[in-house]
Amino acid sequence: MSHFRFLDDSPGSTARRFIISGAIWFFVATVVGLVAATELVAPDLVGARGLLFPRIRPVHVNTNVFGFLSMLLVGCILYAVCRLSRAPLYSEKLGNLAMWIWNFATLAGLITIPMGFTQSHEYAEYVFPIDVAIVVALVMLTYLVFRTLARRTEHLLYVTSWYAVGAFVATLIVYFLGNVMWHAKTGALTGMNDAEWSWFYAHNIFGTWITPLALGLSYFWIPRESDNPLYSHALSLLGFWPYFAFYLQVGTHHLIEAPAQPWLKLIAEINSVGLLIPVYAFLTNQWLTLRGRWWKVPDSVVLKFIFAGTVMYFFTSTEGSLEALPSFQRIAHFTNVTVGHAHLGLLGFSGFIACGAGYGVLREMYGEIWSERLAHLQYWLMLIGIGGFTFVLTAVGLLQGSAWRNGETVYRVLPEIFPFYIERAALGCFIVTGAAIQVYNYVRTAQAHRQRSERALYAVDDTAIALRREAEVAGD
Amino acid sequence: MAMTPRSVGLGMAILATFATWTVLFLPGLTAPNTPSDIVRPLTPKERLGRVLYIKNGCIACHSQYVRPTDWDYSGLRVSQRGDYIYDRPHLLGSERTGPDLSQEGGQHTDDWQIAHFINPRYPRPASIMPRFSFLSPNEMDALVAYVQSLGGKMADQRMARQRHWHKLLVAAYHRGADYNASYLRSLVPPQWSTMPNPYPATQVAVAQGRFVYEQMCINCHGPLGDGNGPAAEWLDPKPFNFTLLKRHRWSGGLIYYQVMNGITGSAMPYFKEDLESAKIWDVANYVAVHFIGKNIDSGNDLNGIPVSRESAPPAEHEPYPGAKPHPVAPSPYPPPQPPLPPHPP
Repeated sequence: MSHFRFLDDSPGSTARRFIISGAIWFFVATVVGLVAATELVAPDLVGARGLLFPRIRPVHVNTNVFGFLSMLLVGCILYAVCRLSRAPLYSEKLGNLAMWIWNFATLAGLITIPMGFTQSHEYAEYVFPIDVAIVVALVMLTYLVFRTLARRTEHLLYVTSWYAVGAFVATLIVYFLGNVMWHAKTGALTGMNDAEWSWFYAHNIFGTWITPLALGLSYFWIPRESDNPLYSHALSLLGFWPYFAFYLQVGTHHLIEAPAQPWLKLIAEINSVGLLIPVYAFLTNQWLTLRGRWWKVPDSVVLKFIFAGTVMYFFTSTEGSLEALPSFQRIAHFTNVTVGHAHLGLLGFSGFIACGAGYGVLREMYGEIWSERLAHLQYWLMLIGIGGFTFVLTAVGLLQGSAWRNGETVYRVLPEIFPFYIERAALGCFIVTGAAIQVYNYVRTAQAHRQRSERALYAVDDTAIALRREAEVAGD
Repeated sequence: MAMTPRSVGLGMAILATFATWTVLFLPGLTAPNTPSDIVRPLTPKERLGRVLYIKNGCIACHSQYVRPTDWDYSGLRVSQRGDYIYDRPHLLGSERTGPDLSQEGGQHTDDWQIAHFINPRYPRPASIMPRFSFLSPNEMDALVAYVQSLGGKMADQRMARQRHWHKLLVAAYHRGADYNASYLRSLVPPQWSTMPNPYPATQVAVAQGRFVYEQMCINCHGPLGDGNGPAAEWLDPKPFNFTLLKRHRWSGGLIYYQVMNGITGSAMPYFKEDLESAKIWDVANYVAVHFIGKNIDSGNDLNGIPVSRESAPPAEHEPYPGAKPHPVAPSPYPPPQPPLPPHPP
């Protein structure tokens, strides 16, 4: 690390540092999650107030969302945008600065929430100064993306870049409004209106931030890895605009049975079901891109992760739309079905795509992954972990929901769900191990091939031919 | 339309403007902001408690809204929009690892709440809530005050009843154990306090009663039924010592009534939400056989109570070893002084 510079200006340093930070936060967040899951079966495990379940649950959630997923996805998407524009990043120094701000914000959240500094809205627990830091970093990154695209030498804008632009613009709006940032002290409005706003935010931090970045990376890597042109430009469009149009309005489906405005609930339900159109358009597009090249999936660790991510996107989106319906919500709401859904969406779908894309970017930067075998091992550990998680949490959630619906009290159901909680904590070990492997593998990849990083990263290269072909078909 | 950075960014801004207008600003502008019939502002102490509730992340496990389909302790009233007009931030919650707290105020006494925060497994042995014993006495007071305010004016009514009966129960407790036992008996309507247990104390019934006792009762009344569970330290009046009933008039119905309805004003909560009828009778049998050493059940006198198990074959009917019919004797103790206020409705 003799060449370490705080604001590095070597090409690719922003993307690399974002990716490696994301991998580290993944490990930290899953360890916190494992401790929290263990506390659910052993509530007296730790006595320290800062380590109690209710205080570290938001740490687990926020560190995963803002540390792991955001940083890994941003790193990969910056790389993809440069590659697709055939232009270097507008400013590596600015990117590095945003990376440090983002890292310090996540670290600050990790420290302040257990100390009791929280705004109490789900996914918006960070207090005002951290919110400001994240918005500043977001503004920097948005500027960077726009300036990079403005300098592109490839005229056509590929789908991945649409998602990048869409995600950054929409998230700036969503983050500012959803955190009620003009009320610095509370970050909240009053009464049910506050609930409507906070769920708008909570749902859209996935809808306009995590998910579009993951979708964009899937669009980037699946054609590239399978050497097939993208199946359909029309389906890309169908998967893009309706996606944002529907997603921005679904937040209130978290309040179907709360006294929110009735017409608002209706809007949320309709849009939640409507969301299936862009989701299935995206999936059709991705899976048909693989036509004739399915055999590539098990061989390439990148494709393997990302393909598994799209499969889990199918399940989590379909489940999500169903959960928005009152008939299903009567059983599923307040239970672990929702917890399982969140894990499937964030770890199973966007997490898998982020991990795979991270491997892809590092492999292109450094020539090869330090250990492909470890990467495959990580894939299977995480797949067993997330598959088991979803199964166990859905089962226990349906059990809870049915029991409550039939008049059992919450307290009476606790002993019934106890064994499931043990299984869930055990499955968490698989995911933590996977996360540890990932940090190790990423860091070793970057270290072992440091000297090769000098090669021109963003020169025109032939491996992008598939994308080029698609872009020509797409011509405007 | 060509997809360029500008068109995508602009399109996104238009979509976001439309969506935020529809789902954020419009509901805020059109929502009725009238208070409901039960809402009231919090006192300063309760507000401090609410801050502690937020700081400690209670929202991770406890929701604060009741759906039309909910039962449990809070299932007294479906939440309305007007219940939340003073809430900032809202604390609706998204998960029920613990029970909903919308109507928690006044369901339990303050001493129950404190014992529960010191160690949730004192009053609720199967609870998985962490201990909040690190709170200072002032913080504990504030948090209890906040929890006791949940439910607004309905909670206030319940708290008024709790306080009224608490004074009388403490006075009775400190006049002596036997006086206390008679006093508690006098609070139960006579048709219940003389009713024998309609279920026979079979081995199975007593084993089931023991299971329920260990999940619900053991940490206050203790494994010996003498009222010396670990929670007793925090409670006033102390949990009841069942062995006292050896020298008192009592019946299965007396225990059943107290378990079902609780003893308002003491830490004894009502269990009619948690336990079905048969389970409460089983607990009564367990207490009778193990702690009092006597058993009054349907083998003695049915008193016209429908008994669903009486047609079972005799082999399954074996009375618990040592269970003997016990004649109901008049109490040797005088009726309590002074005359009692009427029953809570």
